[in-house]
Amino acid sequence: MTRLNIENLNAGYGNKQILNDISLTVEQGEMIALLGPSGCGKTTLLNALCGFVPVSGGKIKVGNRDITTLPAENRNITMVFQSYALWPHMTVAQNVGYGLKVQKVAREEIEERVHELLSIVRLAGLANDKVTTLSGGQRQRVALARALAIRPDVLVLDEPLSNLDAKVRLNVRHEIKALQKQLGFTSLIVTHDQEEALVMADRIAVLNKGQIEQLGRPEEIYQSPKTPFVANFMGAENQIVWTPELESSILTGNSEALFVSRPTNLTANQQVFFRSENVTLITNTSRFDNDNSVLSLRGHVMQSAFFGNNYRISVQCGEHIIQADHTCDLPANTPVLLSVPAHALHVYDIETSFKSNAYATIQTSTSFQTI
Amino acid sequence: MQNKTTHSLWLVAPAAIMVAIFFLYPLFFSLYSAVTLEDGSLTLAHLTKAFSLYSNDILFTIAIVLASVVVLAILSITISAMIVLSPFKSLVSLLGLLYRLPLFIPFIVTAQMMRTFLAKNGLMNNAFVASGMMTPMDTISFLGWTGIIITFVWKQLAFSTLLLSGAMAALDQNQIRAAQNLGASRVRILFHIMLPQVFPTLGVALVLSTVTMMSVLSVPLMIGTGTPTMMSADMAFRVNSYGDYNVANALGLVSYLICSGLAWFYLRQSLKDKGATA
Ligand SMILES: Nc1ncnc2c1ncn2[C@@H]1O[C@H](COP(=O)(O)OP(=O)(O)OP(=O)(O)O)[C@@H](O)[C@H]1O
Ligand SMILES: [Mg+2]
Repeated sequence: MTRLNIENLNAGYGNKQILNDISLTVEQGEMIALLGPSGCGKTTLLNALCGFVPVSGGKIKVGNRDITTLPAENRNITMVFQSYALWPHMTVAQNVGYGLKVQKVAREEIEERVHELLSIVRLAGLANDKVTTLSGGQRQRVALARALAIRPDVLVLDEPLSNLDAKVRLNVRHEIKALQKQLGFTSLIVTHDQEEALVMADRIAVLNKGQIEQLGRPEEIYQSPKTPFVANFMGAENQIVWTPELESSILTGNSEALFVSRPTNLTANQQVFFRSENVTLITNTSRFDNDNSVLSLRGHVMQSAFFGNNYRISVQCGEHIIQADHTCDLPANTPVLLSVPAHALHVYDIETSFKSNAYATIQTSTSFQTI
Repeated sequence: MQNKTTHSLWLVAPAAIMVAIFFLYPLFFSLYSAVTLEDGSLTLAHLTKAFSLYSNDILFTIAIVLASVVVLAILSITISAMIVLSPFKSLVSLLGLLYRLPLFIPFIVTAQMMRTFLAKNGLMNNAFVASGMMTPMDTISFLGWTGIIITFVWKQLAFSTLLLSGAMAALDQNQIRAAQNLGASRVRILFHIMLPQVFPTLGVALVLSTVTMMSVLSVPLMIGTGTPTMMSADMAFRVNSYGDYNVANALGLVSYLICSGLAWFYLRQSLKDKGATA
């Protein structure tokens, strides 16, 4: 296992460019999650690393070795596929040992290594079973063992968990993470589940339209997203565009106005994102203090949904619909007052020329999340 | 319940009767006539006669068919693998178009074409002579057993390649990629990953091709040299020249047995294959 260095990588299909200038370093033993909406190029990036998609510019290095133009079979990078891609005509042991057989390793040595790997992924008794008789979770563990058997320099995983049902997914997720800690492999994992990325990865790269929007530790990405796209993708689904009109309505201090107060760091022509968990909802609308450290606004309950530990209340505030978490159910049309502390707001400038573009991004990512 | 079953029996009756009249009856009648005398008593006389007259031709037929099937298997595997695995996409699409052409040419036209192509003073030899690679003295005729094999392979190649490359292309691309990034070369991928999975399709293609080759009359008549010839030609000869349906049917029975032999071999092999990996 060694470090993987990607420099200004460009790649695509035919003359359709998918990846633009991707630069990323995965340190030895590190796991980076690639997070992004469907179609943003995550699989394409992994395919380019493995040599399945030709690179049109830039460099890929593993350790000191430049592998940019090497054929796939000489790269020593292995992939775990979403669809497992096991060979149905081989047994579990044959699948796992295939890479070693290709390398002409002695038979006893292969057997030993296969045995070792199968016990690592907790499939010890199943060596001679047909892979078609295994469950999804077991199949993915075979695929993992197969990819690790040849001790690859880098392991890449393309949504390894998304074909599994929720409970199995959690199990396999822990197993992959534990294995990664134990064996210390350098790896890139693709997911479009933000929780998965937060839990598993040492660092997260958020991808959008073939570019890295932000790279950082999970806490950084979650707490201080650099762009509106990242904020929205990481779960800050409430968005308010702070127009000059809103700004002036606050200043006049009308008691009927939608917005009651705003923090001082929010100015006209900015947009603000925040998470529903950071919204405090009170039903006593008469109590409002013009506090300069919170964003607070009035609205009516549209609907509420039970989320187990709390209710997710949709509140209609003028033309905005804000999601707020609340401890109890509220009937529709209840007037409420919402407030969000300044530290929970992610504020971004809107460059006027950039505006329509920014909207488009947000639209697509929002619709993606609701799917 | 009972009622329902009788009802559905009535529904399949027309189809079943059609099959019985137009397929089963002629088949069994020809088998029956191969092993009976005029008075209906059982006999091996027709079979004995068929063997004494045509045993050479039977062996010749088996040899031709086996040789063709082997060449066919090798070529169709090679071409399909090139189509599916080759990195040169434009070349592949040309190949993909070319290999299908023989599908649309009837056997008799193929035979005629091969005749003018393979003969001693045919197109192929003329081309060699014209290009100075050969003198007219050195030319040899490919008519005869080589010609028959060439024609069969040329005609059936399209069919078996079509089946085989279809089956190969239907394999999960990621299975191939997984082998590739474990270090397997294209040749290894072909033999370890793809062929074991398309083996049943290859078997079907070869068995169906065998049946076709056994039944084609035009090729042995037009490309063959007369003796030995293939059983289909002998059958036609028995019927046309002597009106001897019994011996013709006896030969038919033999060719039927050869085909079933191959089918049995294929079935056994594919069962064994399944058993080995189960
Ligand atoms: N074989 C291909 N030929 C042409 N275009 C392709 C091909 N595969 C993918 N694309 C395009 O490349 C873009 C990125 O695809 P990619 O598969 O990398 O997305 P992704 O981020 O993995 O999405 P998902 O989360 O849905 O798997 C998409 O717009 C897709 O249409
Ligand atoms: Mg993908």
